[in-house]
Amino acid sequence: MSNAKELPNALAHQTRDKANHDKEDNMSTLKEFAMASARPLPVMLLLDISGSMGTNGKIDILNEAVSEMIETFVGEDDFRAEIHVSVITFGGQEAKLHLPLQPADSIKWLPMKAKGRTPMGQAFSLAQQMIEDKSIIPSRAYRPTVILVSDGVPTDDWHGPLDQLLNSERASKAIRFAMGVGEEADNGTLNSFLSSNEARVFHAHEARNIKNFFKWVTMSVTTRTRSATPDMEVNLNPNEIELDF
Amino acid sequence: MKLSWIFREVFLGKKEIYSFGASECGPLHCSQKLPNEDAWLRLSGSFGLLAVVCDGMGSKPNAHIGSKIACLAVKESVQRWSKVSGAPISYLLHLIEVTWRLRLHPIEPDTAVTTCLFILVLKNKIWIVGGLGDGLVLVRTGTDLKVVVGEREEDFSNQTNGLGISKSTSSWSIMELPPTNKERIAVIATDGISDDLIPDQLDGFTQWLIDEFAKLNPYMRWRKLSNELKNWPTPQHLDDKTLAVIHAPVYRER
Repeated sequence: MSNAKELPNALAHQTRDKANHDKEDNMSTLKEFAMASARPLPVMLLLDISGSMGTNGKIDILNEAVSEMIETFVGEDDFRAEIHVSVITFGGQEAKLHLPLQPADSIKWLPMKAKGRTPMGQAFSLAQQMIEDKSIIPSRAYRPTVILVSDGVPTDDWHGPLDQLLNSERASKAIRFAMGVGEEADNGTLNSFLSSNEARVFHAHEARNIKNFFKWVTMSVTTRTRSATPDMEVNLNPNEIELDF
Repeated sequence: MKLSWIFREVFLGKKEIYSFGASECGPLHCSQKLPNEDAWLRLSGSFGLLAVVCDGMGSKPNAHIGSKIACLAVKESVQRWSKVSGAPISYLLHLIEVTWRLRLHPIEPDTAVTTCLFILVLKNKIWIVGGLGDGLVLVRTGTDLKVVVGEREEDFSNQTNGLGISKSTSSWSIMELPPTNKERIAVIATDGISDDLIPDQLDGFTQWLIDEFAKLNPYMRWRKLSNELKNWPTPQHLDDKTLAVIHAPVYRER
């Protein structure tokens, strides 16, 4: 303020004005009533960890792909949304919440292990419950992205749970992608899961294609978070970004 | 009348009721050199006191025009409606809808969709608060807080209701409040604000508005509020932000 006396009047006025503004900033208690975090953009992975995923190194590649995706989410700092990630696994006798929905930068990734059957229907039900629960995904969140990866045919009743997922109020608005791994993947189920008629099921004929799919998903999500309209679906052409799957 | 008002204002520091508000272009529109798509208006007249806040729907090309015209449409409609004693509130809502479309013409309404929230305090001290579409409308009488518009109608940040979409006045959320001797404050805000407010802190937020702004003069209120909206504390916020308040304090006699 003492320097202001030596400045021309207009400039001194501006300096005093700025000082007052800074003072107002420092004193504001508005932050007590406003959210301290950016709007979340939920990414929910429904991952097949049935016994067959243990062959040909598929589960190892899947673990690496998910881990790299999370690392990329953490490493980006030009986001207009805070990416939250959740992983639901289906293998053994039931679907489980492997990773509760949380900000990517707070995740400590624990690798998944392959075993047992393919209870995909249970995974649909669990995903639907989570998306419909406003204490898990608040209304201020951007549209969730849900990704389904499977290498086989569901071993439980999946028709009803998928119908409920696709027709429920909130979950029906999610952006959905699907990938079939290997030749045994159930294309019909994966197709039914997609969010639009233009969408297609991606196929990983080799294990390395799983990683490319997750790179594509990562780019789709980060593109949304940088865009002016993070609620809009982004359709990146894998060929244009030189990803082979 | 005017002299007595000045006397009360200047010498006694008293005012039965006052209004203030501000609007700030959000970081998204600022960075793209696009206009603020929110609009607001406050007005006193023979009808009483009015505050309006409108949020043009971002995906629509004429959103910034729709919101400004909506503010004017509410003003004109209130002026006409209030002259007819006993006219139902539904007539006011119809009038707003039609006036907005007339003023907008030849712009297509569905290219200029906007929310429309207002606080109207009539001369007989009846308060009418509410609106159409997302955002925040709350009123606190004494310690009784009522949220008239608050919970999102649609999830995941999508606006689905507003002038240009609504087909019926039943889509409006309106509350009429009788005169009271208690302190009363009503707050209206666009979703750029309401989406980032902690839901169980609305009472605290309302009290904060009184504590921080009641004691200021009108210019300082506007400047301080603009500054608060410009420096909104939620990280990576994008939206335009607009808020308006009408406050009827209870002053102790000296």
